[in-house]
Amino acid sequence: MPTSVSLARQCLTEEAVRVLDDAVAVARRRSHAQTTSLHAVSALLGLPSSTLREACARARCSAYSPRLQFRALELSVGVSLDRLPSSSRALDEPQVSNSLMAAIKRSQANQRRHPESFHLHHQILQNNPQQTTSVLKVELKHFILSILDDPFVSRVFGEAGFRSCDIKLAIIHPPMVSRFSRTRCPPVFLCNLTDSDPARRSLGLEVSGDENSRRIAQVLLRKSGKNPVLFGVYAVDALRSFVECVNKGGGSALPNELFGLSVICVESEISEFVNGGGSEEKMGLRFKELGEQCLGPGIVVNLGDLMTLSEDGAFGEAVSFVVSQLTRLVELHGERLWVMGAAGTYETYSKLLGRFPSLEKDWDLHPLPITSSKPSSDGFCSKSSLLGSFVPLGGFFSTPSDFTYPFSSANQSFSRCKRCTEKYEQDVAVIQKGGSTISVADQHSESLPSCLRMAELDTGEGVGVAKTKDDETMLKAKILQLQKKWNDTCQHLHQAQPFPKLDISHAWSQVPSAEGFHFVANRKERSSKDSSPNGSQCADPSHRTPTDLQKPFPLKQNMQLPVDSDTENANIQSKLIVKVSRSQQIEMERPWLSTNSMPNMSPPPDHTSSSSVTSVTTDLGLGTLYASTSQEPDSPKLPGCKESLQHFSGSISTKVDAVSGNTSRQIAHSSSCSGANMGGQSDPRDFKSLWRFLREKVCWQEEAICSISEAVSCSRSSNGRRGGSSFKGHIWLTFLGPDKVGKRRIASALAEIVFGTRESLISVDFGSQDRVCQSNSMFEHQELDGYDVKFRAKTVVDYVAGELSKKPHSVVFLQNVDKADPLAQTSLSQAVRTGKFADSHGREISINNTIFVITSTITKGTRTVLPGKEPMEFSEERILKAKRYQMQILVEHVAGDASRSNGMNVRVTLKNGTSNAGSVNKRKLIETCDSEGHMGTVRAQKVSRSYLDLNLPVEEELEENINCGDCDSDSISENSEAWLEGFFEQVDDNVVFKPFDFDALAGKIMKDISLQFQRTFGSEVMLEIDYEVMVQILAAAWLSERNGAVEEWVEQVLCRSFAEAQQKHHPSAQSVLKLVTCEGSFVEEHASGVCLPATINLK
Amino acid sequence: MGSTLLEALNVRVEGSGQKVLVLAHGFGTDQSVWQRILSSFTPYYRVILYDLVCAGSVNPDYFDFRRYTTLDAYVDDLLNILDVLGVDRCAYVGHSVSAMIGILASIRRPELFTKLVLVGASPRFLNDRDYHGGFERGEVEEVLSKMEANYEAWVNGYAPLSVGADVPDAVREFSRTLFNMRPDISLFVSRTIFNSDLRGVLGLVKVPSCIIQTARDVSVPASVATYLKDHLGGRNTVEELHTDGHLPHLSAPTLFAAKLRRALSR
Repeated sequence: MPTSVSLARQCLTEEAVRVLDDAVAVARRRSHAQTTSLHAVSALLGLPSSTLREACARARCSAYSPRLQFRALELSVGVSLDRLPSSSRALDEPQVSNSLMAAIKRSQANQRRHPESFHLHHQILQNNPQQTTSVLKVELKHFILSILDDPFVSRVFGEAGFRSCDIKLAIIHPPMVSRFSRTRCPPVFLCNLTDSDPARRSLGLEVSGDENSRRIAQVLLRKSGKNPVLFGVYAVDALRSFVECVNKGGGSALPNELFGLSVICVESEISEFVNGGGSEEKMGLRFKELGEQCLGPGIVVNLGDLMTLSEDGAFGEAVSFVVSQLTRLVELHGERLWVMGAAGTYETYSKLLGRFPSLEKDWDLHPLPITSSKPSSDGFCSKSSLLGSFVPLGGFFSTPSDFTYPFSSANQSFSRCKRCTEKYEQDVAVIQKGGSTISVADQHSESLPSCLRMAELDTGEGVGVAKTKDDETMLKAKILQLQKKWNDTCQHLHQAQPFPKLDISHAWSQVPSAEGFHFVANRKERSSKDSSPNGSQCADPSHRTPTDLQKPFPLKQNMQLPVDSDTENANIQSKLIVKVSRSQQIEMERPWLSTNSMPNMSPPPDHTSSSSVTSVTTDLGLGTLYASTSQEPDSPKLPGCKESLQHFSGSISTKVDAVSGNTSRQIAHSSSCSGANMGGQSDPRDFKSLWRFLREKVCWQEEAICSISEAVSCSRSSNGRRGGSSFKGHIWLTFLGPDKVGKRRIASALAEIVFGTRESLISVDFGSQDRVCQSNSMFEHQELDGYDVKFRAKTVVDYVAGELSKKPHSVVFLQNVDKADPLAQTSLSQAVRTGKFADSHGREISINNTIFVITSTITKGTRTVLPGKEPMEFSEERILKAKRYQMQILVEHVAGDASRSNGMNVRVTLKNGTSNAGSVNKRKLIETCDSEGHMGTVRAQKVSRSYLDLNLPVEEELEENINCGDCDSDSISENSEAWLEGFFEQVDDNVVFKPFDFDALAGKIMKDISLQFQRTFGSEVMLEIDYEVMVQILAAAWLSERNGAVEEWVEQVLCRSFAEAQQKHHPSAQSVLKLVTCEGSFVEEHASGVCLPATINLK
Repeated sequence: MGSTLLEALNVRVEGSGQKVLVLAHGFGTDQSVWQRILSSFTPYYRVILYDLVCAGSVNPDYFDFRRYTTLDAYVDDLLNILDVLGVDRCAYVGHSVSAMIGILASIRRPELFTKLVLVGASPRFLNDRDYHGGFERGEVEEVLSKMEANYEAWVNGYAPLSVGADVPDAVREFSRTLFNMRPDISLFVSRTIFNSDLRGVLGLVKVPSCIIQTARDVSVPASVATYLKDHLGGRNTVEELHTDGHLPHLSAPTLFAAKLRRALSR
């Protein structure tokens, strides 16, 4: 039952609808009853610059000329259309056939599965909830893809020598840039990079097809050593499949040059001859014949398996005759004659060589190892089916797949023009000379396509989000039209323009992309109905020389980012931050909107009244730009770039992981400028307010806070004064000694007061790798710095670099730097000296606005952990092990007299005193080890760490473990120590922290509890507090942000429980109340503001 | 271009020294696998590290399923890297699949290599007549289908097996890198590896080779090392490593580094 056209149209996007309409028109013209997929194909091919046509052009096999093959395709489509039954009466609207409708349905499903469009789809849904979910508009790309699935269609394509799977591939991997410029030179990638022979390179060897045959063909094309001898178990098979391939007429594996080559197999004759059959005369005749056949493109003499010649059964003389005849043949007809053979093992060949030592030279042989039998198509098919099955595991795909396609696919399928080939060679030369320096060209080539993509994507999205309600679709259509128009113009211009005088190393990557920028800009301007001033300018970019183009770039990068960060510093930002994550569009717009409120902004130019939000942002961009770059002479050109850079920033924020490489470099570029701006804008916090703020957060580290405030305020005020020109904008502090919690809190307070939000704390704990990850630890939220979440496949250095490029205004909080790996050590020392933080690939990020806080339990000069003066009852190590146990009160009667001390009837039972089983014992074991020595702990932890965590990289801790007793480990630790000392000398300030006085706190808390206890029970009853409980309470006090939180807990929670216990048990004088932990059950409900249970169980 | 390649495959050059040493990682790992032994060689060699295109640390989009159907494409990459870096002589250490790649590279450009050190190398993993590669075709198919069905489970099972030695950290590290690979790529590469057979070409290798073989390796039986020694065309030695597993550089770095240093100095 066919579907009506209007119904089908509803399922398609505008672009696809147009195709459908064309298809319907084709069907109508031919007075067919239904519109089928074939009509759609015909319509698609009819369009002058259709995706399908382009894909076909790239997927076609190189054996035929493109025009020929296209004509064949048209013919074959035409013939097939003719065969369709025509209806008796002409219909206005031939209905959509079931097969075509099924194709639409398939593409809908496909699109829904496709992660990239899913996102878009999702967003559209969010923004237009009124829109019904069921209508998912099919994009043209998916539409074409599913039409190609139609077996009927693929047969038609097949008749014209196209494989529909190749075409599909070509559609999926489009050369993105080609929309903007057709003549972009092909970057050469992983394949054929070093082929110095230009003839070979120009072949454009198709990557598809049988890999082995392709390699054989490559050898045949060589000037010397052009006769391949295949080696390997699969050599004979490979030879056979190559011969088949050639006889079939080339196939996709063979380059054009070999077209027309014929293969003559003499294996059987030789075999017969050397085994005693046939006469020398006959054989000689055969070879003579061969010589005569050497006409046209030439012949390949296929010797087949060389085994025949080296077999033991072969007659020596006969073999010599064959060899000498062949040698002569090669000498005579070397130009037009190839010899090839295969050897299953090297031994076969070497045996032959042993008898004819000069064979290799005489026959001009080239050994070619064949290691795989598999025709590539097998592998490919298995891949595609696989991809389908892995889609639900989308999480594995580390990058959104669309990002690099432009990059990598563009590499495969271009045929390069001569000019660019030259440039390419020069570039290679430059690179080879200069080693591995990263050229600017690369940077741009990498970053821009994604940016362009983004910009492109954005028009769609922007409109979607803009919610200009009424003319949304109209605007979109308009933009699309304009886009198309400018595409054409651009393309036209570009093709006419053979790059006048391009800087060689930048040429290919830069020009097209720069053009893209302007292009986007101008399109935008068009849509805001302000075309006149720049109308002619859009043609400009392609005429300008690259240096010219390049100039606006770095400048604009500088402009954009600081503006962004200024607003961050302004307090508006804190309100915004909540909303930022909601959608990318908002994220991009808010900062711009807020810049509007900045006082010294020049009034936005007259087109503020335009219809869409997109254009409003353009204008704002314009405004700020004028405000900040008045000295720039040719500023009229800037808004364009500016605008696109806005998109660029969008792409930075959304795709940072994928493009972290290039963003980081971008940031580095912008740094100098932003440093200056920040200094001017943010009010440098004076010492007093800084001190007060920190003091509020961490009251117990007075001295440390004093020196921290001094260091920070000092640096920052001088930063403001000197405008950041010569000033080192980064501040380095080390927090040494104990008090992990205090250090962290100070760092986060610093982030809060200096950069406005706690979010700007980048925190990494080097020590986290070799610490047992205890579940339910009280310090759990702090340990999130661990490797699990953040460091998937990244080194610490890369993580920090990535974060820094996202938010350069941050406090970088690196804990336990003494455990840092050598890479991090180098990076850090370099950063402290140069102000640039290098990641593991050597890319540098400026840290001019960053405060580095580095902690170590080791104080300067000594490698020992600071021990307390006297053995403390509650050590920091012990407290750090606290867990969030539920607590309970037990009431027991004791026969004997409980000893009473200090007039208090509350005491802490020591760890050995309590009787506990199971898991506790294990912990106790560690405990005792701990008291024996630090090494013990480490070992104990090792033992308990048998779980498998995929995300944790194993670090040198293991090495030390293994190296135990090896002299290497000593030197390593020595190195680390030396480094640490050197490093500490370079930082701005070394702040030594005091140990947190847990014992005093414990005393105070005990007193509190005792007071409450006596109030409830009188002085007769005893209370025993389990050591573990005490540890827990202390940890809570240490962690709590608010003073007196624990006291409150004691008053409220504990007191209530005491009262309950009193009511329930009426304990007598002999009673002992025990406050103990419930082993194995953890706190479910926390008391307000403190990490302690809200209720205590009573037994 | 050149640097695109270098960047794409995360090529790193470390250390100071006259001689060049290439460390090529095997299947399921990336260059971080050498981290533990790197410091033992940086003082004496210019060490070149790179990631195979199938490694998890390389952008999966670079992996062209049409191109990397045989090991030759990987060989291209290796040779291109060496050319871009301007290396004319180097010692090559290759683990598992990289050992195969090294063999093929040295056939193609014998002048480039002074020495091949093959770790956990096998010319063919499947059994054949008169050849014991350690795997039956059926077993391999089963493994591959398991891999396809549930990659994570497969990783969790395969990693400890492969590491062999009881070193949880090595298992974890190997699992991490293995898990970083995109499953489809991982499967595709395993197919490529299992479909490869280098036996016929070993004789073409003229570069002296050292085969480092651990006492027990699930992937490579001891007989394979002997086979390699007998069939490789150059001057060959076999070094026994007194540890278990397919990844000695991960599970016993100290031992491995010492052995490797000795192998390279000879």
